[in-house]
Amino acid sequence: MLSSLPEAIGILLSLEGLLVLVLGTVLGIVLGAMPGIGSTVAVAIVLPFTLTMSQAPAIILLLAVYAGSVYGGSIAAILINTPGTPQSAATCLDGYPMAQRGEAGLALGWATVASVVGGLVSAVVLIFAAPQLAAVALEFGPIETFALILLGMTCIVSVSTGSVVKGLTAGMIGIFLSTVGGDPILGEMRFTFGNWQLFAGFNLLAVVIGVFALSEVFMRASVKVSTVSELVAFNGIVLPSWQMWKGRLRNLGKSVAIGNVIGVLPGTGAATAAFISYAEGRRSSPNREGFGKGEPDGIVSSEAANNAVTGGALVPTMALGIPGDAITAVMLATLTLHGITPGPKLVEDNPTLIATIFAGFFVINLLLLPLGMLLSRVAAPILRVREAFMMTAIVILCAVGIYFVRGNPFDLLVMGGAGVVGFLLRRQGVPMAPLVIGMVLGPTLELTLRQGLILKDGNFLAFFSGHPIALVLALAAIGALSLPLIRAMRKGSAA
Amino acid sequence: MQRIANERVIVQLGLLIVAVALYASTFAQSFSASDLAQSPMFFPRIILTLWIGLSVIALVQAIRKDDRATPIASWTRIGIILVAALAYTNVIGSEGFFLPSVVFALICLPAFGIRNPLLVGLFAILVPGALLLLFNHTLGMPLPTSRFSYLF
Repeated sequence: MLSSLPEAIGILLSLEGLLVLVLGTVLGIVLGAMPGIGSTVAVAIVLPFTLTMSQAPAIILLLAVYAGSVYGGSIAAILINTPGTPQSAATCLDGYPMAQRGEAGLALGWATVASVVGGLVSAVVLIFAAPQLAAVALEFGPIETFALILLGMTCIVSVSTGSVVKGLTAGMIGIFLSTVGGDPILGEMRFTFGNWQLFAGFNLLAVVIGVFALSEVFMRASVKVSTVSELVAFNGIVLPSWQMWKGRLRNLGKSVAIGNVIGVLPGTGAATAAFISYAEGRRSSPNREGFGKGEPDGIVSSEAANNAVTGGALVPTMALGIPGDAITAVMLATLTLHGITPGPKLVEDNPTLIATIFAGFFVINLLLLPLGMLLSRVAAPILRVREAFMMTAIVILCAVGIYFVRGNPFDLLVMGGAGVVGFLLRRQGVPMAPLVIGMVLGPTLELTLRQGLILKDGNFLAFFSGHPIALVLALAAIGALSLPLIRAMRKGSAA
Repeated sequence: MQRIANERVIVQLGLLIVAVALYASTFAQSFSASDLAQSPMFFPRIILTLWIGLSVIALVQAIRKDDRATPIASWTRIGIILVAALAYTNVIGSEGFFLPSVVFALICLPAFGIRNPLLVGLFAILVPGALLLLFNHTLGMPLPTSRFSYLF
């Protein structure tokens, strides 16, 4: 991979490369700052427009929107006490009180530096960990791959928000949707009911945008229009001096480590990392007395951890083809749409692409500092834009994006249907990430299971007798599924 | 009675019925191979069986727990926006992008509480108009046009 670095730098320094780096980060920061949009919706909105691009710039654009939006969420959290993204919810706790004291610029300064450090370290983790993990996974045959996907899915479901049963149901719906259309071994049509538009299956992108972006608009329409706190006075970011960092570096390091570790675990996500890191900061920081009253360590804990998740979550996505959270599931869908199969072979077969993505991710995190300082002034007035305009624009942009991909009006119907189903399910507390992950991983799960069964003459138990890696992965999957059940039972007996 | 006829129970029941209907449909189709792993319906049947099992558990949980979904703040608003969005995604293919987008914005913005007619009108024309200009006349990647003119 390192030998491809000069070529990767060449791609990044090309006009297209520079444009997507800057434009993606700018878009990410602005969309992330808008309450109600969030990272997943931001990435979903931009996704269709990447399909006209070549592979590397397309992925870099999405990564830039992803990293930028995670940082952008802190702007709204600090200036109007409403997190732009769920990941920034913990930032509100100290960011807004600090802003109310007249230190909005400094609060954003702490958030910016912590985000940049968190993101940069996570980029380094991604660069070193992903190829190592991929090298191990290269030894995997269909049986091991089947067990690995099973583990990935159970992890994602077991830690998804809401009940395990609902998460699993969403996963099954997603896997089922992936079976519509041609059978992967014989090519015979399934569940098309005579509709030729379904011969190629459901358009993944239409489903992703429907269940994330469109259903979000419906969710917003179903609840009371939220009132936000008053925008505090703000005259640009003030970076904290080196002196001010003294006594806080340990907290920063710990938060970055928490973000990276949680990011690598499938299914946890940046919001969990931010709250765990905040709780740890409140427990161990020398300034813990000030937490909740405008303490910079609180902002650092949350922002360093949520940005550190971005690189960590990409490790299993790139190396194993298993998404770390909803956003990386969307990324995975994008890679697939671009004809790239994420997984162990990706690193070996496409060293230049991987080097470009990794180097690009590092540069994106560097860009957060100057662009964050520049854009926070612009983003502040955007916070005053009413939700109605954003929601209407989202629907129109989603329609444009989906039509733009294949020029097929049927995809618009799928998006509309997915939006309504997503809305109904989300209202019942059914998480949408397992549905998308199921749809992305479903085809490989089916193919490897059936290949394995053909190899073993239909004996499923033989999957694990001569395959120690598959056995360990399957046991881990059982463990991951039973853990929440045991926890629930303990809670029940304690009550 | 209310415990059974709430939104959560109805949605879970709907999910169960869909799964059972899909499972039943797997027996109505004939395929060239019917061996275990070779059969195209082998994998979907496993998934649908799990879906049915999980839906039954979720349904029992919904009936026993009696927890309700967040109440809808305004049925009129969500009704208008749902119908408008579905109609919008349905008619773009036949009526073009611009006109349905203008109508959608004219319906959606007041439903979301924007009462200023000037703002509503400006947004409804400018946003779809800008996108049409960008895609059809600048990028050369045309969005569908109406039956009235090739320009929009």
